Amino acid sequence: MEKEKKIPASLSLESRNLRADNLSGYLSISPWLIGFILLILGPMLASLYLSFTDYNLLSAPNWVGLANYQNLLSDGRFLKSLEVTFKFVFISVPLKLIFALALALLFNTGRKGSSLFAAVYYVPSIIGGSVAIAVVWRQLFGRQGAITQILSALNITDANLIGNPNTALSVLILLVIWQFGSPMIIFLAGLRQIPLELYEAASVDGATKIRQFFSITLPMLTPVIFFNLVMQTIQGFMTFTQSYLITGGGPLDETLFYAVYLYETAFEYLRMGYASAMAWVLLIIIAVITSIFFLTSKYWVFYQSEGGR
Amino acid sequence: MKKYVLLILVSLFLLTACNGGDSENGNADNGGQAGETTIRVAWWGNQERHDMTLEAIELFNDIYPDINVQPEYTGWDGYWERLNTQAAGSNLPDVIAMDNSYLNEYNSNELLIDLAPLIDDGTINLSDVDDVYQEINHDGDRVLAVASGANALSLVYNTEMLEEYGYNLEPGYTYDDLYEMNLAIKEAIEEDGGEFFGYDFANAEYELFNNYARQNGMTLYNEAGDGLGFAEETLVEYFNWVHQMVADEAAPPHDIMMSYIEGGNSMLQEGTAVTQTAASNQLIGLSQGTQFELDLTILPALDGVHANYIRPSMSFAITNHSAEQEAAAKFIDFITNNLEANEILQAERGVPISQAVRDHLVEIVSEPVQKTFAFLEVVAEYTQDSDPLSPPGETEVRGAFIRIVESLKYGQVTPEEAASQFIQQAENVLN
Repeated sequence: MEKEKKIPASLSLESRNLRADNLSGYLSISPWLIGFILLILGPMLASLYLSFTDYNLLSAPNWVGLANYQNLLSDGRFLKSLEVTFKFVFISVPLKLIFALALALLFNTGRKGSSLFAAVYYVPSIIGGSVAIAVVWRQLFGRQGAITQILSALNITDANLIGNPNTALSVLILLVIWQFGSPMIIFLAGLRQIPLELYEAASVDGATKIRQFFSITLPMLTPVIFFNLVMQTIQGFMTFTQSYLITGGGPLDETLFYAVYLYETAFEYLRMGYASAMAWVLLIIIAVITSIFFLTSKYWVFYQSEGGR
Repeated sequence: MKKYVLLILVSLFLLTACNGGDSENGNADNGGQAGETTIRVAWWGNQERHDMTLEAIELFNDIYPDINVQPEYTGWDGYWERLNTQAAGSNLPDVIAMDNSYLNEYNSNELLIDLAPLIDDGTINLSDVDDVYQEINHDGDRVLAVASGANALSLVYNTEMLEEYGYNLEPGYTYDDLYEMNLAIKEAIEEDGGEFFGYDFANAEYELFNNYARQNGMTLYNEAGDGLGFAEETLVEYFNWVHQMVADEAAPPHDIMMSYIEGGNSMLQEGTAVTQTAASNQLIGLSQGTQFELDLTILPALDGVHANYIRPSMSFAITNHSAEQEAAAKFIDFITNNLEANEILQAERGVPISQAVRDHLVEIVSEPVQKTFAFLEVVAEYTQDSDPLSPPGETEVRGAFIRIVESLKYGQVTPEEAASQFIQQAENVLN
């Protein structure tokens, strides 16, 4: 009997300790937690509510049910912005990753100064999303820009690439690819993780460099490729600055990224409720695509820790 | 013990965070001495306007040392985004520069106070102001804003070039004249190996159509503001003209026009265009950066009909969020009537609405400014009544119009398709 009594007593003491531990744990993450609740979770829930209203920023919102979501389906510019954004993501992300991987391979040779070059090539990623670079880009590719002049002198094209509906998106894709720095650094780290003895064994067996790349480097790198793919895709869907500043979504809405149309709807046309609905649709799209990546990952991503499965 | 240390650290952190907020407020208060009231004044514009307005505010401070003015200024881009978010946070400045296209939107959301009592008790003195300048700022008996200058949509032209090629744009010239003149000059200049783009629409196709509809005895929006007020054929006719101008190269392609605007350049200043649509007060800015002599003329006639109208280029309003309406009203009165202030402001916001100010300025302002004064007197002979205020949602309708003009200029749609697309999209917004 006595024994039985003792156990709950000690348990309750333990749980009190546990609770105290939890408290100090919560306290120590409280700066982040408060920030998260006030700056992320709160606004997110507010936007979820607003997406069911006709909120226009200037007067109180009225409940309209699913009307905003229904209207999206018949909104030609919304569909256009989806088309543009998907085109942009599916072209720019693979190109950017290939570019980043190629340069990472180049810098992984261990030659003298390769880390200096890696640092130099990282610079565009730091400054690339900035307003200043967007303005520079607009100048370079604009009607009298340096690149336009060079292309015209070489008789390739004398068109203003930004002003031409067929080429404007390519200019933005080029700018984004140029910011390959952060996937490159991650690839570089991934490459250095691959055990050298795999390559040694392969060369003993007489495998060529190309064969080694496809049979060792690429499979060993798939977790890193997977990570980069997910991150870059999410980032791609949320691209805003480049289009907003360089082309303003034009010409003919050919660079109307989802985020740009969302911003225009919310802050220029004051349709905050409708824009909130758009934001939630974007969240769902990104979630679906990311989960597709995760679901398919077991067929193409190999983790060493799982015995190379 | 450890966890108490932590607790203290966290509380300290939170305390400092709160303190940070306090000291910020403290700073704002320190800006003025005891007994002072502070008003916030917001406007948009370019650097010249900012400099002149700031100088006028200094003068205001000399006259009213107990009123402290906090300026908030940006370019046109971003101005409304900023105000709209401030409106959502019930934190609008006391005095805001208003544009006609937003007046109704702000009024219908009850963000502006009625200025009539402040005008009646003389805080804002409008005794020198002709009614025509204030007409558009009324909502029934309510006065929503005080115009800070008047202008009219006009055509700015290069006088030297016009003389050289033997043309004139005396009132009575037509849309076809404009087309032929630009083509002829283009041909002559290109023969000499020069670059010439023709007529610069300057992104004002929407405003120009407003005038075109009025010339047809119609209006852009219907009286109730819940639909359009013109016939589809009228828009098709107008689009036909725009299309002809661009397709025959009497006006530049859309991308060239936009690259000038985005780069902050002007074909007219550069001499690659001879005419441009502009609000008359823009002549002042345009004249500053060019070697050419520029002048103003009224918009083209349509079958002898003119439909120009004088409108305030912008106004000042007092917002509902203002706690210092009296001080805000004094500021508006100062901008409207103070002679010295208007000397500083150089009529850059448009021709001053006070007769006394105009009389005082006309002798001392620069030549381009004098031209805008003279132009408004010319326009007065060709005006019709101004339209009612544009309905809320105009920004979006204008956006749709500009996009459709863009695809028309790129040759993606015919004028007929463009007209029916615009009407459908506009009615979607307005309903």
